[in-house]
Amino acid sequence: MANYNIDAKKEVTYDAIVIGSGISGGWAAKELCEQGLKTLVLERGRIVEHVMDYPTMNLDPWDSELRGGLTPEQKKKHQVSIRSNWVSTDTAHFWADDEANPYTEVKPFLWLRGHQMGGRSLLWGKQTYRWSDLDFEANAKDGHGVDWPIRYKDIEPWYTHVEKFAGISGEPLGLPQLPDSHFLPPMELNCVEKHVKSRIEKEFDGRHLIIGRCAHLTVPHNGRGQCQNRNRCSRGCPYGAYFSSNSVTLPAAQATGNLTIRPFSIVQSIIYDEAKGKATGVRIIDAETNEDIEYSAKVIFCNASTLSTTQILLNSKSDRFENGLGNDSGELGHNLMDHTYRVGAMGKVEGFDDKYYKGRRPNGIYIPRYVNIDEKSKTDKFLRGFGFQGGGYRGGNPANIEDFGADYKDSILKPGPWEFFITGFAECLPYHDNQVNLNTDVLDKWGQPTLAIDAEFKANEKAANKQIQEDAVAMLQKSGLKDVIGFDNEHPPGYGVHEMGTARMGRNPKTSVLNGFNQVHAAKNVFVTDGACMTSSSCVNPSLTYMAITARAAYHAVSELKKMNL
Amino acid sequence: MDRRSVLKKTGLLAGAAIAGPSMLSLLHSCKNETRLTWQPEFFTVDEAKTVSTLMDTILPRTETPGALDVKVDMFIDKVISKTYDAMGQQYMRDEIAVFNADCTKDFGAIFIDLDEAKRIEILKEAEKTSGKFNPGIWGTTVGDQEPIGFYRSMKSMAIWAYFTSEEIGENVLNYDPVPGNYEGCIPLSDIGNRWSL
Repeated sequence: MANYNIDAKKEVTYDAIVIGSGISGGWAAKELCEQGLKTLVLERGRIVEHVMDYPTMNLDPWDSELRGGLTPEQKKKHQVSIRSNWVSTDTAHFWADDEANPYTEVKPFLWLRGHQMGGRSLLWGKQTYRWSDLDFEANAKDGHGVDWPIRYKDIEPWYTHVEKFAGISGEPLGLPQLPDSHFLPPMELNCVEKHVKSRIEKEFDGRHLIIGRCAHLTVPHNGRGQCQNRNRCSRGCPYGAYFSSNSVTLPAAQATGNLTIRPFSIVQSIIYDEAKGKATGVRIIDAETNEDIEYSAKVIFCNASTLSTTQILLNSKSDRFENGLGNDSGELGHNLMDHTYRVGAMGKVEGFDDKYYKGRRPNGIYIPRYVNIDEKSKTDKFLRGFGFQGGGYRGGNPANIEDFGADYKDSILKPGPWEFFITGFAECLPYHDNQVNLNTDVLDKWGQPTLAIDAEFKANEKAANKQIQEDAVAMLQKSGLKDVIGFDNEHPPGYGVHEMGTARMGRNPKTSVLNGFNQVHAAKNVFVTDGACMTSSSCVNPSLTYMAITARAAYHAVSELKKMNL
Repeated sequence: MDRRSVLKKTGLLAGAAIAGPSMLSLLHSCKNETRLTWQPEFFTVDEAKTVSTLMDTILPRTETPGALDVKVDMFIDKVISKTYDAMGQQYMRDEIAVFNADCTKDFGAIFIDLDEAKRIEILKEAEKTSGKFNPGIWGTTVGDQEPIGFYRSMKSMAIWAYFTSEEIGENVLNYDPVPGNYEGCIPLSDIGNRWSL
């Protein structure tokens, strides 16, 4: 049981405050606590204790009255998140209350939130890939956005650091555009995936199909159990087999004796002291009592999730920062990015009807980026690139079979046809006009201004999506699949749940919010290490990079504190 | 394999025990004598009879339990009652009425009052005219979905309710709540029926 700041007698002064307890906040808490800082983690939602607070983790469909179906009340409460089709009675308790936390879609944008201890680390997809210099150099090379103040060599040791603790499974490939992690044994491809792999790698020079690299343990690791292939991850894992703050980083932080978690703490703003030239603490609203409380600390880590962190910074106004803390550049709230989503192809695979699999592997395949990685693979149709996720399985929809009755019923007890799909994730350029703004016309349940989100994919992303679909269809057709269909659901941003940017890192305080160690340029004891800090979006899943960037920034914070620089 | 056949047989017995032998015969009985043995939450008694008969025609009892053995009709009634909003519920009522009106137009009686041959004829036609679901990945339909007719939606709900019933999920399909390892390529003959989870 963690140390919670919920008693009447409250400590208000800490060495460090971490806003948010999701993937990056958990890492900030762990690293700061382990280096001896008395750390307060402010979580806007409730406490979720590992295992104890996973009420649905072992339920079979027939154990719940509606077998996953949501009531009209639940649908109203989760009116935004249900658009993702991921919310069911098994997981509804880990999705935010959309009614209490409104936002405005100036253009369509799906903002998926998890307001509890652990945040979306309980719900994430667990795909974990290193970024490369192809990503960190991209802005500098093609002139979109500003240059990253870091390169792969700066973050490489921190990838190693977080991987060894988190436990990442995968297969090394030696590709420069997708550097290998320190891997636990890879998960296994099934027979159809192996078949498609061999065909794609034979037919398409430079393309690879690998098992997804993921934050699931394939062997016991640091006292946690290995994956049991139940694929019930989003309900919370009783074995602690996937990486979440609840099962991995927060217990490590707790073990130091330096961690205090305060639930139901909505950070209203960060307090800036103009005389001292730095932040002195944060102001919170107790979500249950509406009480205003101030906490002070020497360093403040913002890990509320990309848009919530920026919302807090925008709302932290002072004489010095009239437009939000650290917003001298005018870039705070701008350059919002996400990956494009749900565009690809699928088809049927013949010749494996006598084969099946055992276990519900919570992972799929990955096809690393192969476009625009060198002169040979350069296209003039769009900048940057894309990767694919996907998988093979026995699927089909028995309801579509034009039959019914006794023979039909017996036939659908057998597994359906093998199907295989790939879906692309394209990099989104950092556009200044893809932005969020504080909206004082719409207030949340606690009377606070909300966000208006105004972002869209533009010509470059649409051109990449076109290529994704064409390539996906071609790869599946060349692999001998039947009934291959291409698709593009034309999802607006947000569906990829890889929102990045809005408080970007950069070399120049005039064009960026954060420096190369994630410090707010003009308030150096404020660190932003969640997705808000990202300067470009790569086409690669970002969470592992958040972890590494956070650990790196936390070490820098402690080092600077020791030097009395903060 | 022995374990599977034992489970299958146990399942069949359990299914029969749950539903009792009388339900099917009641539903198959002639006009005016068709009775409902359960109290619907949402459906009227006549609507419930239509749905029950439809479920039984799509997924009848064979060596394995049928839809009614595992109370698919009762579950669908509950789902519509508890998860549909007022508009969705009204739509369902209207669709049942249209379905029965079509039966009456073509064969002179509502669905439950038709003999089995005529019911089959009705459903064969419905198979052709009620659309097909697009494939989905990760829970999301891909591409532009054409409208799905009443019959296909009911059939889809029936299969969902059937597969997720305890009897079918644990004893007829392959139930393995904690698989442990993943094996990506094994003979189907080692497994038999589809996995339930």
